[in-house]
Amino acid sequence: MRLLLPLLLLALAHANQAAEPMDLAPVKKWIARQDEFRSVQADFTQTRALRALRSPVASPGRITFAVPSLLRWELGEPAKTIVIRKGKDYLLIQPSKKKAEHIPASNIGQEGGAKGFAMMEFPLATDFPDFNRKFEILAVSTEGTRCHLEILPRDAQARKFLSALKIDFDTRTSHMISFEMVTRDGSSMRNEFSNVRVNEKIDRRVFEFDLTGYDVTDARN
Amino acid sequence: MPGIRLGWIALGVALAMFVAAGISRISFNVDILKLLPTHLPQVEGLSLFLKHFAQPNELIVTVEAPDSDTAEAAADTLAAHLGKQTALVKRTVARAPWEKNPADLSELLAFLLLNQPPEKVREIAERLTPEKTAATLQETLEKLTDSISPQEVALLSYDPYNLAGTLASSGLMSGAQQSEFSSADGTFRVIYVEAAQPFKNYKDTIAWMEEIKRHAAEAQLPASVRLGFTGEPAFVADISGSMEWDMQSSGIVTLLIIALIFWACYRRLRPLRDLQAMLVLIFLLTLAAAGLFLSQLTVIGVGCAAIMIGLSVDYGYFVYQRSLGHRGTVRELQKQCVQNIAWTATSTAAVFFALNLSSLPGLSQLGNLVGIGVVIGAVVMLTIFAPLTMRFHRPEIARPLSFIERLFESPRFLRTGAWLTLALVVLLLSTLVVKGLPEVDFSARTLRPRKSEAYTALDRLQARLINDRDLLSLVVSGRDENDVLTRLRVADTKLADAKARGEVASFRTALPVWPVADNQRANLPTLLPLLAELPRLKQAVFDAGFKDEAFALTEAIVNQWSVWAAQPPPIWPANEASRWIFRRIASRGDGQFLAMGMVQPNAGHEDALAASLQGQGVWLVSWNQLGRELRRVIPAEFVRVIVVLTGIFLVIVSVGFRSIRAVGLFVVTTGLVLVCLAGAMSLFGMTWNFFNLAALLLLLGTGTDYSILLLLALQRNGGDAPAAQRELSLVICLCVSSAAAGFGTISWANHAGLANLGLTCAMGLLIDALISLFLLPRAWMLLHGKKQPA
Repeated sequence: MRLLLPLLLLALAHANQAAEPMDLAPVKKWIARQDEFRSVQADFTQTRALRALRSPVASPGRITFAVPSLLRWELGEPAKTIVIRKGKDYLLIQPSKKKAEHIPASNIGQEGGAKGFAMMEFPLATDFPDFNRKFEILAVSTEGTRCHLEILPRDAQARKFLSALKIDFDTRTSHMISFEMVTRDGSSMRNEFSNVRVNEKIDRRVFEFDLTGYDVTDARN
Repeated sequence: MPGIRLGWIALGVALAMFVAAGISRISFNVDILKLLPTHLPQVEGLSLFLKHFAQPNELIVTVEAPDSDTAEAAADTLAAHLGKQTALVKRTVARAPWEKNPADLSELLAFLLLNQPPEKVREIAERLTPEKTAATLQETLEKLTDSISPQEVALLSYDPYNLAGTLASSGLMSGAQQSEFSSADGTFRVIYVEAAQPFKNYKDTIAWMEEIKRHAAEAQLPASVRLGFTGEPAFVADISGSMEWDMQSSGIVTLLIIALIFWACYRRLRPLRDLQAMLVLIFLLTLAAAGLFLSQLTVIGVGCAAIMIGLSVDYGYFVYQRSLGHRGTVRELQKQCVQNIAWTATSTAAVFFALNLSSLPGLSQLGNLVGIGVVIGAVVMLTIFAPLTMRFHRPEIARPLSFIERLFESPRFLRTGAWLTLALVVLLLSTLVVKGLPEVDFSARTLRPRKSEAYTALDRLQARLINDRDLLSLVVSGRDENDVLTRLRVADTKLADAKARGEVASFRTALPVWPVADNQRANLPTLLPLLAELPRLKQAVFDAGFKDEAFALTEAIVNQWSVWAAQPPPIWPANEASRWIFRRIASRGDGQFLAMGMVQPNAGHEDALAASLQGQGVWLVSWNQLGRELRRVIPAEFVRVIVVLTGIFLVIVSVGFRSIRAVGLFVVTTGLVLVCLAGAMSLFGMTWNFFNLAALLLLLGTGTDYSILLLLALQRNGGDAPAAQRELSLVICLCVSSAAAGFGTISWANHAGLANLGLTCAMGLLIDALISLFLLPRAWMLLHGKKQPA
């Protein structure tokens, strides 16, 4: 038994050495190119495969991003949920209910409501070390021009809830093809992007919303 | 002769039985609130909180690692390893019980819904009628499609009728900001370890802690993982252990110092051995008396050993000194000594007993212990030590003068001593002028041990996991649920008003989870018919596109209501998950019900808030708030006690001296000693706190003896200062050395307050002795216009 243990450890060590290192080059390149995006507009289809539902539910949406930190994210056609980010503040709007809520960025990661779109923060990271600090890379694979990346946030609260974030991007254009959140209970929320337009001029009024007649609450106070 | 011998044997046996019985009952109380005045609202509230919400058998193990995965794995490994030690551990909890079994939360949800106002519950029942079921489920599906909140999506997936949505408006479903188990970054985790059996005493706790630490070390955790141990058992083991060590070490070192002093003065071994034996006997008898007649020893009471030995030895010195020149019988020697010893022992004991005038129970206990010890010491020295001294009596041999006596024979030494003492006084007074009075520190820090692994781990826990330093705890008590509910509603309204006025940043009371018997009584008839509707409701869920598992929670909630149908309200949830959640929110038992809450005040409003909420059965407390209250109350109380004691002393010395000048000199000397003590404290950067304020009282009781003795000697010797100094030099040297040793040795006590008390007293006594011996005679000469001594 005493002899077996070192042998077993040796075998395990070799097995570890034998594992193929991940090719991170496409990821590094993709992250590096994030800086080139002054603006991004895209349509998407969000598909939620929830464990408690017999079949997935899908909903169309639209996303608009402009540097440094302007974001508009709409879900539903017509939009049932709109999120507008301006700097450090988020505005969550539910047009059908005529309700809106201001949420400070500091609440991201604390409030269940804010966490959902915190996952879709653009850009994901400023550079590769920043990306590495925020996410653990679980897997990388490339097929043709499509790179599949599986990551997990290092944030403990997010890890409690998530088992993986799956991102597919085009290695030539660095455009995101899909973004999927997989939760620990086996449910998933996948966004398939289409009609991606990069660095087009965006009317800043997109990031404004007329709240007249809305019941507005403010979580910043 | 055999009769006398038999009497001694009987006395020995009786004493041995007394000591054995008393010491076996000794126990330590590590609760620092036991040192503080119980009538203060903050002390009362915090004591209630600790009594009902502190978990006496629950150890908190902190696990810290460089990354969250290592920390999580280490916590799980350690929890599993400790959980296997079934002889030691009842259970270990490393994650919330509902993480392991989410279905357990259905009982809590059923309880919260049952507790809601009847109109809300009627709305629920309405949503589940055959006409509304489809619309309710459709609304849920839309939310599952559109919601951006993962929390809402996760909950609705398993709550298709959105029963929990009813609780949203009460704030019950808002996400908890803090976890009991993990820091936000996951690198700091906590395991709760419950002991298999309640602890019998502190030794049992110490042994258990050692075993737990041994098993933790055997768990083979990565080297980068750091463990900490806190919680009630860790505190008891930590502080009781150090208390035991403080008591033993200070007592033993005092005995050694006294032995050295005795040897330096008399160079005789047998009397020294007997004196030491007497001191040990006095210590044991006092400790036994404490065990039999007083409640648990507090950290301050521990200091009694060294102080008592340091003071009792004075009577031994006195008896031995008298015996050296004694030519008569033992009874005659005892007769000669009894008056002096009785006078000094009574006055010293009286001052220590006067500490009962203080409302600080810790000080009262110290006073009682030393008071008892001093009286026992006087009796032991007179009845046992006096006969022993005569056994080695060698009257034919003239005793040579001791080194100290020879020193005081030298005029040059007296002159030099006076100049050096004057220089010391000038230095201390200058320090006082330059640096000012010592600062006042009434923070809870002075109540804590200086070194404690349990406190270090607690500080870390507060820094990483539960930062409650600025929070106030709301404690609401009552005779029954309804009593507490009424008070909770009043407190909740007051806090909401305070929040509207900007005095409170946020607050959370137990009101949303406290059982409301009237609501429960009204809601059960509305909810119970749903039991018969379960098959229909389940089918509707399936038809809407959900899987069967989506209905499990609804089914469990409805079933739980039917379980409670036979139970008279108020109903409490009782399963493991509910008990875990409620253990820090609500407490029941012994005819007392308590509810806990947390208030985050805006800076500067703490006092007003505490005062406005303070009422029958309601307290708003925190350790910081306690410090503020003590700062308000204690100094005034000490001033009161000191004024009373000073008055008593002035009457006594006036009767004793029968001279206004002597009384004046006594007052000036005592005043100068206290001012110099303040200067010395400033010089060494010491602060005034609850405990060393008592040093002033103790100095009045012990230190003033030196000036009184000197003044009496001056009167006896017709104002001949050198003669008075020669007469008392040895006695005062012996007394101050032993008393300062007694107090000085507790300066290394682990309890900061006790250590400070010891150091302050030791310094005060030395200053008192120097001023009394060297400056007071000079002042007498100046005042009486006599010639200066050569």
